[in-house]
Amino acid sequence: MEVSLEAINKSFGSVRVLKDVSLHFPSRKFVTLLGPSGCGKTTLLRMIAGLETVDSGLIRFGDKVVNQLAPRDRNIAMVFQSYALYPQMSVRQNLAYGLRVRGTPKAARAEAVERVARILEIENLLERRPAQLSGGQRQRVALGRAMVRKPDIFLMDEPLSNLDARLRITMRAELRRFHLDLGATTVYVTHDQLEAMTMSDHVAVMNSGMVQQFGTPAEVYGRPANLFVAGFIGSPPMNLMPGRIEAENGVPVFANEQSRVPLRHLTQRLQVGQHVVLGARPQDLHLASSTDEASAHGRVWVVELVGSEKLVDIDLGGKRRIAVQVRADAHVREDDPVHVRIDPAQVHVFDASTERRVFEAA
Amino acid sequence: MARRLRGFTLSDQAVGVLFMVPFVLTALFFMVYPIVEAVRMAFFSYNPLRPDLSAFVGLSNFSYIFDDQLFWTSFWQATVWTSFSIVFQTLFGVAIALLLHQALPGIAIFRGLLLFPYIVPTVVIALIWRWIFNPEIGIVNYALLAGGVISERIYWLSTPEMAMASTIMLNVWKYTPFVVICVLARLQSVPLELYDAAKVDGAGVVRRFIDVTLPQLREVLIVVVVFRTIWTFNKFEEIYLLTKGGPGTSTFNLAVYAFEQSIANLKLGVGAATGVIMMIMLSIGSVIYLRSAGFAREETHG
Repeated sequence: MEVSLEAINKSFGSVRVLKDVSLHFPSRKFVTLLGPSGCGKTTLLRMIAGLETVDSGLIRFGDKVVNQLAPRDRNIAMVFQSYALYPQMSVRQNLAYGLRVRGTPKAARAEAVERVARILEIENLLERRPAQLSGGQRQRVALGRAMVRKPDIFLMDEPLSNLDARLRITMRAELRRFHLDLGATTVYVTHDQLEAMTMSDHVAVMNSGMVQQFGTPAEVYGRPANLFVAGFIGSPPMNLMPGRIEAENGVPVFANEQSRVPLRHLTQRLQVGQHVVLGARPQDLHLASSTDEASAHGRVWVVELVGSEKLVDIDLGGKRRIAVQVRADAHVREDDPVHVRIDPAQVHVFDASTERRVFEAA
Repeated sequence: MARRLRGFTLSDQAVGVLFMVPFVLTALFFMVYPIVEAVRMAFFSYNPLRPDLSAFVGLSNFSYIFDDQLFWTSFWQATVWTSFSIVFQTLFGVAIALLLHQALPGIAIFRGLLLFPYIVPTVVIALIWRWIFNPEIGIVNYALLAGGVISERIYWLSTPEMAMASTIMLNVWKYTPFVVICVLARLQSVPLELYDAAKVDGAGVVRRFIDVTLPQLREVLIVVVVFRTIWTFNKFEEIYLLTKGGPGTSTFNLAVYAFEQSIANLKLGVGAATGVIMMIMLSIGSVIYLRSAGFAREETHG
């Protein structure tokens, strides 16, 4: 089932939480709404569920407008952040509740519960109460409760945020596998970019009630559409440096007090004097041995070892710092003078006033 | 670890004990001693006018009580009074709490007003209610007559059935707020996601109430019912101030019975024995109720 949102608006009191949001989720895909807290992603999910009303705009499942349908009539299932298992019911009763309410015959109910319990490997927990389960087990029961009715659309509201870091990593893979096996459209809400990047077919990056970019994880990471996405996606975060465009032999050059980067591939797109922000991921920057091929010079401010890499913070002077990721065995020490090579092919250029990406000529 | 205190050195344990001494002493003097004394007196005959004739009489106070028709009448009336009071308080309490739980503008005012019956002294309430229930000039009769609900005056406090009903009404009116406050506090801590989950599962308003709200209220309702039962069964001043146990003995409960035996008949031993019987009955009743309501088997967390 595909899901379309058309010009959705929503206000709580005087606060506009969603501003003209339009999105199209293809059928059977895993789509993630990603953004910082308060960006409206959960509200949007609750609207798809029917738990929140829409001020204006249309929500379609397939061709059908569902704005007026109650949650129970939308054939959706939802996994909540707190799991929201009914505390007084056993796992079996929790799983069967949705079917029982809808008047499914007892035999069919028992069969559906057994099937789901088998898939999720929770058969031995069926007689327990939620309070007697671990976090991971509760998570599985919550998933099971969502699966049991064979919904068209799965909605998940930060379902991994209450698990410990280790379990989160295994559950990420499991959720992705469940999604592939079930063949339903999944809409997943998270503030964790790693979850979004690893599990999704498509990511909608949201901020302050607007969709900033909608695309595959590779697109969102590789070609961020604006400054917000550039700064939000990627860890460690992208270096962002303000500057101006100057001309040098007919080639536009990014320039500020600390660095100069020729941008030959953007010749058609940039004007001399234009204020821009240059973005470069720490992974795409290199330490240079000689002065001539370097674009910036500075002094090592701090070195952080992050497993197989080192993150080198370099002070460029003028209160400006830049992070460069190097291999863990590289010899860099604090206070060493260093040269940074910025590969023009690896940088992202944003217009300073519109904050939008300056795209390469098609 | 030891603490130095103006030259004295006290262990932490000693300091802890020291802090508890005032409470233990007052509890011993004002709670334990009277109870022990009451139990002791239950086995003695004691006339406050002739203390010199006080004597150990064994179980004869109890056999006197069990042979006394008025004791059994009082016991039955106390049961009726308590049961009706508790049932109506709980029903009204839950209903009003659900209403006040709605997020409506100005609802905080009503939540505040609710405390009113609970904080006014019983003496004041009972005196006001006597006026309200006055058959000649009371506002209840006036309103009912004017509204055409009844055609002749109701003698609220002077016919046995109506007197009982009036005392129940007073008790329900005064203590429903207590139930409301307990239930409202619990309602406000019910996780909202449970309601969302039930909506997605397809549960309507009624099912959500039965399957989400009620189970969450279970524990608080058990506590409320136990406490209200104990307090209502033992209640003296409301009945005594409103009807003095009358007309006749039609609104006697065990507390009024004990009072009459002790003060009017000057049989303090019999009054004390009545108190002991009430204590035993309520203890047994509470234990049975808590067990059958499953309060003892707490769910294991973690």
